[in-house]
Amino acid sequence: MSLLNLRDITKSYGEGAQRVDALRGVSMAVEAGEMVALVGPSGSGKSTLLAIIGGLLSPTSGAMLIGDRDVARFDARQRSQYRRDQAGFVFQASNLVPFLTARENLLLVGEFGGADRAALRKRADELLEELGLTDAAGQAGNRLSGGQRQRVAIARALMRDPLLILVDEPTASLDSKRGAHVVEALRDAVHGRHKACVMVTHDLEMAARADRILEIRDGLLQAHEPAMQPASPAPCIVDPCE
Amino acid sequence: MFAIREMSRRKLQFGLVTGVVILIAYLVLMVTGLGLGLNQLAGNALLAMDGDYFAYSERSNLSVIRSQLSEAQVKDLSSAPGVKAAAAVGYTAAAIEYQPGEVETGALLGIDPGSIAEPAVIEGRALTARDARALLVDRSWVNLTGTGIGDTLLVQVGLSAEPFEVVGVVDEGSFFFQPAMFMLRDSWRGVSYRAVDQETPYASVVLLQGDGLEGASGPNWEVVTKDTAFWNIEGVSAQQGTVDALRYMGLLIGAMVIGVFFYVITLQKIALLGVLKAIGASGLYLTVQGMLQVFLVSLTGTLIAVGLAVLTKATVLSADTVPIAFTTGAIVNSTVAVVVAGVLGAALSMRQIGAIDPIIAMQQQ
Ligand SMILES: Nc1ncnc2c1ncn2[C@@H]1O[C@H](COP(=O)(O)OP(=O)(O)OP(=O)(O)O)[C@@H](O)[C@H]1O
Ligand SMILES: [Mg+2]
Repeated sequence: MSLLNLRDITKSYGEGAQRVDALRGVSMAVEAGEMVALVGPSGSGKSTLLAIIGGLLSPTSGAMLIGDRDVARFDARQRSQYRRDQAGFVFQASNLVPFLTARENLLLVGEFGGADRAALRKRADELLEELGLTDAAGQAGNRLSGGQRQRVAIARALMRDPLLILVDEPTASLDSKRGAHVVEALRDAVHGRHKACVMVTHDLEMAARADRILEIRDGLLQAHEPAMQPASPAPCIVDPCE
Repeated sequence: MFAIREMSRRKLQFGLVTGVVILIAYLVLMVTGLGLGLNQLAGNALLAMDGDYFAYSERSNLSVIRSQLSEAQVKDLSSAPGVKAAAAVGYTAAAIEYQPGEVETGALLGIDPGSIAEPAVIEGRALTARDARALLVDRSWVNLTGTGIGDTLLVQVGLSAEPFEVVGVVDEGSFFFQPAMFMLRDSWRGVSYRAVDQETPYASVVLLQGDGLEGASGPNWEVVTKDTAFWNIEGVSAQQGTVDALRYMGLLIGAMVIGVFFYVITLQKIALLGVLKAIGASGLYLTVQGMLQVFLVSLTGTLIAVGLAVLTKATVLSADTVPIAFTTGAIVNSTVAVVVAGVLGAALSMRQIGAIDPIIAMQQQ
């Protein structure tokens, strides 16, 4: 069975005449070691879907399975722990803590409990090196360049060794060269560490770097493949590194 | 620790609010100290007396100035049930000329040697029954006038003045804001009423030791606790009320300043806190971090203020001109009060932190 399984997920905002059906029955699966790009027009439900997968929103109906656990049924505390331990988020704005250094931003997730702090220190150094951030490790979050910030955000998402990496428009604030660089870094991390990754983007060039592209329109996944195929559609054949 | 890192990286903001807390806590402490100091001036000598109760004449309205007890009343109440020991005490305010043309007011207290009202002498000797012209003065009098043992003071009540020789120094403090002075009760009667006969009051009040005497009364006399006696000294309650009002005002301002500061800081950080929640921080963790900051800001500010207040007392106010007094209890009490005010003031922001919806992390561009 796939690592991540969505079964007939719906999400409605508001009530009565104000009601918006943002998702109208989405089913999908993502494997470990696979990077999926989620594309679609504005307002189609991409962010809503990503928020549900990441445990930031509860679906109106449907099941969201990680292994055999249904995240849709989690209470607030379980969702918080799920976000901490199993879902690594990279947001559109990198959202680093501005007054902490790159390294401290990584170590911060160790303060949320349930982690071996010494192991996290080692891991932070590994990730900084892996993402080419060793020289920036001591820089404050607000002194880093846009590309560095996004790479720190990727490292932060990987710190607690989650099963899933969820990414929302990671390149929106970057030019295409830097954007490509960030997505490459993400893809290497996902493949190298055997994570399941869902990346929302409206940029087909970036989407093409994923293993698979899913298109969503009006709250429904489209059966056909989008116009542009991935450059390297082969699924992950990299050895799981852990 | 996130809370402490943030404080150390945003020194200006947290330094400023700590500075304001220092000022407010300093104000609260000084006002508290002033209240204590004034209370000491008002009634230390009364509080220092070795008894638990005071008896007043009935129509005195618990005023030591107006209370007048006859010999019969004193005998009557001294043998009331529950009384273990009793001592008649006379009081009169007198102008004391200690050098030609130099006059200060003293609180004349008439006592009987050997009674429970007799003060402990710290220098010189105690009064004996034959010391009709001798006087014990409080050490604040010595500090104030420079006169002491061996000096002769002119005690003036009404239009006449009588010389008394200082034979000892006591440490009883003041009464009615004047240094306490002790003489024989018989001498006090003479000084206060000139002609001493059956009609002359025998004492102003009676100091009592015993059990369960509160509320005891008899023909024209009533008994209250020492505490009640103290709070009924003219001006003490009003003065304490003023001091308390200032204190509460200070604490209220402290609560508001800390509250507004953390409200603004929280508003500034709300997006960031949403992100932290989205990446796995619990509401509890974030609230604890916030509380820790509130606690550190108010505690640090107050402790610095305590240092400043004690320093002020020891240097600028070391002369006895401003009656400021600190006790450990008062300092601890004020410190706790400011910290509690800070925590209460910031409570709203703390609730807000706990309730942040992590979805806002996705809504930022
Ligand atoms: N909190 C909300 N309350 C009400 N409606 C909402 C809310 N969030 C999203 N929607 C609606 O749900 C639909 C899907 O929104 P969503 O943000 O998921 O789209 P999107 O695909 O991420 O769009 P974009 O590319 O512009 O980010 C839209 O019609 C949107 O207006
Ligand atoms: Mg979106």
